[in-house]
Parts: sequence; structure tokens; C-alpha cells
Amino acid sequence: MFETRATFENDLVQLPGRSGFHGGPVQKEVEYAQLDFIANSCVTITVGRFLTPFGIFNERLYPVWIRNLQSDPLILPIGIGPSNASTGGMIRGGFKARPQFNINYAVYFSALSTTSPVDSDRFAGVRTGIFIPKARLEMGGSFQHLLEQERSNLFGFHAIWQPTLLPLDIRGEYANSKRGSGYWIEPAYKLSQLPFLQNEMRRTQLVARYQQFFTGDLVSDALPPINTKQFEFGLNYYFIDGLKAASNYGRQFSSAGNLNVWTLGLTYRFVVPMGSAGGPR
Amino acid sequence: MRRNWMLVCCLGVMACLVRSALAQEQERSDKGSAVVASAGPSTANSNASHDRRSPPALRSTASAERAQRIEGEKRFRTNCGRCHQPPHKFPSRVMATAIRHMRVRAMLTDEDMRLILSYMTQ
Repeated sequence: MFETRATFENDLVQLPGRSGFHGGPVQKEVEYAQLDFIANSCVTITVGRFLTPFGIFNERLYPVWIRNLQSDPLILPIGIGPSNASTGGMIRGGFKARPQFNINYAVYFSALSTTSPVDSDRFAGVRTGIFIPKARLEMGGSFQHLLEQERSNLFGFHAIWQPTLLPLDIRGEYANSKRGSGYWIEPAYKLSQLPFLQNEMRRTQLVARYQQFFTGDLVSDALPPINTKQFEFGLNYYFIDGLKAASNYGRQFSSAGNLNVWTLGLTYRFVVPMGSAGGPR
Repeated sequence: MRRNWMLVCCLGVMACLVRSALAQEQERSDKGSAVVASAGPSTANSNASHDRRSPPALRSTASAERAQRIEGEKRFRTNCGRCHQPPHKFPSRVMATAIRHMRVRAMLTDEDMRLILSYMTQ
């Protein structure tokens, strides 16, 4: 199976004292262009450019139609390399280890690439998780060894829990590296249990996220230069599965000064079949 | 000035997309309710006549299919529902591609994938 995704992004900014919106060059990025070979029920071999499987955000929540808050967590750049992706090979899969839980894993190697938009770092890593379907709980950890520059180790933990009795979704992640460490926790609650305006309420979701970042021994361009805290609160409305209106307000606290973070967005995802498809293997 | 026009065009395209998605949704729900309304009594009759003629083996096959569908829905809610809203049911060939993509992306087990695909294409 071959799959790919690329992004073209341009920010239009209204500068003080000037009328109209002004934008810079369009940023181009190949997020993944990978060839997957499903070897058996437990093993998939991937080669090419793939999203670095470190933690939970880059691995699962990166698409804008999936994430609850549109802004990236502060610790996202830890462990994922430039452009969030790796160039190399990966073995991954999931299997039912016991009747009570599933195990998923990914082992990968990435080569150094300085060619934009397919740049990547040289590292090797492993990510593993355990999913308990009855409790709707997934926990896991990631480890990575950088094979260039300071040749350091990075690690992280993640968890997702959806209680069966409440339309609540709690996600959290911790990451640690020589360039900084931090965590985020994000509860999201759907208002479907409210007894009024049920058609509207079941489509409405309240989200909050609290995150903290601590600087490390080394500096990184992608991470905040000083210790930072950020709280965000958001409201999402799902028209249908592929169409969502998102809004959020956040406040960032750091010794460089506090600032507000506003986001308004509309995400729309569509499916266009481009050819015939076979059944699952 | 040119940037303003670009912004207006983007907003216009987004508004059109929203409108078409909502219209599509409305059309689907209308069509679904019309099919249920028109097929209701005849389906009930055919089921009744079918039941009168069904041997126990056919009945057990039907109950096995029903159990599989329920299990598929359960697996969908447990696995896919962690990130996705309940989606429209796409045509089988689209769904087969999507589920294969999600098998790799979300590291679904083989069993989960088969049950979810069966549920999503019924």
C-alpha cells in the first residue's frame, strides 16, 4: 500500500500600520510518502518518509480534523525531527496479546536528510503501547536515540482514556530530551448528556489543555527558549464527521511576557476514490 | 489588495464547502428515512414469510451475522471512536482502502480490522 500526505501552508498577517493581509512564501512539506507491506497480522514493514512515531500527538492526533485543539503542544518538536517526519524504515503493528489487552509497537530508523521539504534527522527509536479495550485505556512509552549531534537519548510517555460512562476523552503526554522536557494534559467533554437542545449538544465539545515546558541543557529553534506554561480552552462543533468548527482561547505564561493565543478554524475532510480497491488482507 | 481578494476567495470556497457538506448530509438523512419508510412494512412481511420458511441453520446464520455486526460496532466505538466521530458509511471499496490505511496508522489488530470493515460495509 502506498500512502502520502503533503501540506502547503501560508499565513496571512495584518501588520500594524499597514492595510490588508500580507503573507510570506508558501511552506511546503511532505508529511509522509510511505510504502507499506503488510507482512502478516502482526507486522507491517514501512519504507520511505513517515511520521515519526514518538508519543501520541504526532503519531495519532496530528491531522487537523482529528485533534481537539488546533494549536500544537509546546513539546511536540521533541523526538519527531524536522518536518515531523523520518526518512528510512519502520516495522510496526498491533496484536491481541491476551483477551484483555492489545499491544502495539513501532521500531524505526531514520537517516539524515537536509533536502527540503523531505528533511530529517538521523536517529533510531521504539514506541510501544498497551490498549485495554474494556477500560478504553491506552498507555505507552517512546524511546529514541539520536545518532548525530549530541547523540543523546529521548523518552516519553503517553496515555489516552475514554471512560465508558461519560462522553469524556482525556489525553496526556510527557516528553524528555536534552533540549527540554514537558507535558500536556487535555480533557475533552461532549455535551451529549445535557437534557436540552440534544441535537446541538451532542455535536458540541468543550476542550481544555494545560501544558508546561522546561528548558534543557541545549537550545532548540523549534522549542520555547524559556520555561513556559500555557492554558487553553476551546469549543468545537461537529456538523458531520468530516466538518468541524473549532475555536479556542489560550494564555501563555513565561518570563518573557504573557500573551494570548486565539484560534478560529473550520476543518473539512472529503474522500475522493481515485481507483479500485481490493479487500483487506 | 490582492491578498484581500485571496482571503475573500478562500472564505467563499470554505462557505461553498460547508454548504455542500450540509446539503449532502440533509440529502442522505432524507434518503435514509424515505427508504426506511417505504421498506418498512414489506420488509416486515418478507421477514415474517422468510422466518416461516427458515430452517434453524438459517436462523443461526442470521443471529451470527447480527452478533458480528454488534461486535463490529463495539470495536468501532472502542478503537475508531477514540479519534473519529461516527462517519458515514462509504462504499465498500472506499471503506476497504480506508480501513487498510487505519490498520497501519492506528495499529489495529487483524481481528479488529475485519470486524470494523464488516460493520462499516453492512
